Amino acid sequence: MSIVLWLSVVLLAATILVGLFRVATAPDPASRAVVGDLVFFSGVGLIVMLGLIKGSAAAVDAALLASVLGILATVALARILTRGRR
Amino acid sequence: MIAVLDVALSVLIAVLLLGGGFWMLTAALSMFNARDAYSRVNVLSPATGLGMPMIVVGAFLQHTRIDGLEPGMLVKTLLTVLALIIVSSVASNVLARAAYLSAAPVDPRTSPQDLARPPEEGEQVPHSDDR
Repeated sequence: MSIVLWLSVVLLAATILVGLFRVATAPDPASRAVVGDLVFFSGVGLIVMLGLIKGSAAAVDAALLASVLGILATVALARILTRGRR
Repeated sequence: MIAVLDVALSVLIAVLLLGGGFWMLTAALSMFNARDAYSRVNVLSPATGLGMPMIVVGAFLQHTRIDGLEPGMLVKTLLTVLALIIVSSVASNVLARAAYLSAAPVDPRTSPQDLARPPEEGEQVPHSDDR
């Protein structure tokens, strides 16, 4: 079971690394915002996996808060993209 | 009987966790193949709508396998899955709208493209590959 947990951590970490590389090489700001959203959700998944490995139930609360409030980060990115226009 | 159930639950958890990680990594790699920002918004939805719920449900099953069923954690997991699905759909809409308003370049092969023409101009011809 421990191997499965660490393998999932490796998959999510690879997602973050590939996503950050894509953010650096993206052609336009809108693509950067989209890939940044993917990196955010990979970070949430990483928190859940670390909570499993450490046996801590608090990670479930962290995932709930991050998934409910994650829309705020996306809306903020969208407002930055449009320079404050709605 | 209990041992068989435990093995089956472990396999289910492994499939959920590894499958969720696989969807996330696939979305990240597909970002290189998408041609414009709108396709990238489209590519994002399997990661947040399918990969993240799989990881959260797998984590709930693993906690249940070790500590026993806790109703509070079940409620939190269901809320998280619901919030993830709603957030991913609303976030896609908001991001695509902001991308179009910030004049992100559109793939020239996009056709029909109703946003780029004035209304009352008649029907557009679909892309030749689609006919």
